[in-house]
Amino acid sequence: MAATDKSPISAGYQPVTWNFKLLAHDMLAGFGGMGEGMSVQIAPDGRRIIWLAHESAPKNFTAVDVSDPRKPKVICQTDLPHANMRSNSLESCGNMMAVAYQTSKKDLQPAGFELFDISKPENPKSISFFDCSGPHSRGVHQLWFCDGEYVHCASGSRDFTPTHPQDDQFYRCVDVRNPSKPVEVGRWWMPGTRQGDNVMPPARHPLDKGFRAHNTNVYPQRPDRCYLAYIDGGMFVLDISDKRNPKKISQWTNSPPYTGFMHTIVPLFDRGLMLVTDESTENNAKDWPKLIWVLDAREETNLVPISTCPLPDHTVYAKAGRFGAHNIHENVPLPTAWQNDQIVLGTFFNGGLRAYDISNPYQPKEVGVFMPPAPPGAPTGTIQMNDVFVDERAIVYAVDRHIGGLYILEMDF
Amino acid sequence: MLDLFPSRQAGLFGRRHKRERGAKIPVTVLTGFLGSGKTTLLQRFLASPEGQGTAVIINEFGAVGIDDALVRDSTEETVLLGNGCVCCITRTDLQAALRRLVFDRERGTVAPFRRIVIETSGLADPGPILQTFSTDRALGGEFHVDVVLAVVDAINGEAELDSAAEARKQIILADRLVISKIDLAEPAAIGRLTRRLQALNPRATIDSAIKGVLDPQRVIEPAAGERSGFIAEAEHSDGIGSFVIAQDAPIEWLAFARAMETLIGLRGGDLLRVKGMLNVAGGRGPVVVQYVQHLAHPPVELEAWPDGNRSSRVVFITRNVAERDVRALFATVQALAKS
Repeated sequence: MAATDKSPISAGYQPVTWNFKLLAHDMLAGFGGMGEGMSVQIAPDGRRIIWLAHESAPKNFTAVDVSDPRKPKVICQTDLPHANMRSNSLESCGNMMAVAYQTSKKDLQPAGFELFDISKPENPKSISFFDCSGPHSRGVHQLWFCDGEYVHCASGSRDFTPTHPQDDQFYRCVDVRNPSKPVEVGRWWMPGTRQGDNVMPPARHPLDKGFRAHNTNVYPQRPDRCYLAYIDGGMFVLDISDKRNPKKISQWTNSPPYTGFMHTIVPLFDRGLMLVTDESTENNAKDWPKLIWVLDAREETNLVPISTCPLPDHTVYAKAGRFGAHNIHENVPLPTAWQNDQIVLGTFFNGGLRAYDISNPYQPKEVGVFMPPAPPGAPTGTIQMNDVFVDERAIVYAVDRHIGGLYILEMDF
Repeated sequence: MLDLFPSRQAGLFGRRHKRERGAKIPVTVLTGFLGSGKTTLLQRFLASPEGQGTAVIINEFGAVGIDDALVRDSTEETVLLGNGCVCCITRTDLQAALRRLVFDRERGTVAPFRRIVIETSGLADPGPILQTFSTDRALGGEFHVDVVLAVVDAINGEAELDSAAEARKQIILADRLVISKIDLAEPAAIGRLTRRLQALNPRATIDSAIKGVLDPQRVIEPAAGERSGFIAEAEHSDGIGSFVIAQDAPIEWLAFARAMETLIGLRGGDLLRVKGMLNVAGGRGPVVVQYVQHLAHPPVELEAWPDGNRSSRVVFITRNVAERDVRALFATVQALAKS
């Protein structure tokens, strides 16, 4: 018990588990580089299955039986057709699942999304493939599928020629009521990003991540609204009451002076609030600060930022991999998802998983941190926590971007 | 904020907590008379797995010497211990030490500690320490006193209780008592001491320790369980008494708050500690209330009741404040609130 002022605990960056309880960690059979698709299904036989999209090839998606969250069991892991593509995003709704396919270069196949019958989770069966490939398209980066009827996605298209090659993905709404024959019903892109638009293309940001769609959230509380993140274009609230003709209601952006890459919008309908996240995409915190923003959204045509979720001193984190905001739990409107407007759970790459109490939205307060030790073989030497999902039992699932797989936790606050 | 941004999920006082401390840093206040064995118990705890990640504050008031081997070699205010722990000595300002620990943790210059143990000097009255967490708004937002633990020496404890008012107050304000050195004392003496302690503080459970060995959980477990009996009604020396006010029917918050405001206004200095759980009308979980003298902690609504008992129960530890007067005050205010 002697004093040891040379103790490694004095080093700045250290694993922390604060007000979370780790129930289980699964490296997912050695393929633990996970994307930002996480969805829970109650299978016909009663098992609880979490479906996870991989961040990169060779794997497509993995299903884990989490009926007992302390004993997760991989029951299915599928391969992509080739290495120049990724799935990254998926959503399940009942016994159907939509999986996004994005290629590393334009004009490759398959680029689009695939629908699966997952009624037998060990053996998902392809129902159909919606092709989004094209000479200027990388396919689908992200999708939203919660009502069993429409897939809302960030996608390119064969007939879409962007004004800048980075601006290839835009909002598309696809009718999958006949799942064997998905049909596009509407689309919207930021004016100026398509050749032929009658407005000037937007001025590029210094990091230039593209004026293109990311998350495309639609909730049953407002089925006539799409909450659309548009990376360097900020975010948009769209009126989709006529899906064939989405219309912009409002836009909000923090960049410049911030560095773009707006990622997710989660409206908290009861409270008149909106959560908006950036994504950190640069190593060593070069794009710091990447934040979760809280907006007063009582008037949807005049969104007012009122606070951000506080981050620790970035200098400690600026040494290995990414640090900053990315995904948050999105209150996905499904019976298997936790619905909450008091707590925000977000992933921050080497900043781990963090929870914030926003009961006073002017002063978000950090209430929990889970920064596990670097998983074995982690290329950055740190965790790179990428996505989080909370099921209706309030069990938290978080995934590492590179190798660490799935962490299952309980909130303890 | 609930007016501007209402939430159906929020409770009466904001987010409903899973437990009383919510997300705050848990604090154990370790008190006990000089030589009672606090340091030995603390050393044992720090060496246990449960002790990992503990920040220790040795609260040395005035000229009392530190008998703590943990820090004897250090000239620094804050030293790092093994087992992921950190220790600092505060000679004057506990608040400054606590603030500095939080600041250093945020900056990553000290270990990401998980709890604080404050070891008081043997002559310390724990009252001011409890008050610290109420008086400082910033500290109250960061820390929560989970348990006040008093160590009593099996050999010298009785004599100390006879001679020293501070020793009696330590016992009275504690949530949990530990009789140390039981291997060195006669069973009859231990029995007498136990009865004396029960008389002074019927709310507290009594553990025993030999050479500082105590289940580490008992050093950190929140004290709520100790209050399950709620039978305490005791008159002590020094005019200090304790009693419980309980009520089965739900309480109107406004009536309770007004009664407490009146009581604090008239006799706040004599409310040494008031703590309880209320079944507030319109609430879903119990509302935890806590007062130290003139100061009230913000009420917290929990997600669920800890047991089947849904009655309101508040323990008062007071100086020269009669139970009947407090009961009358509450009855009157509640009646007026209804009329």
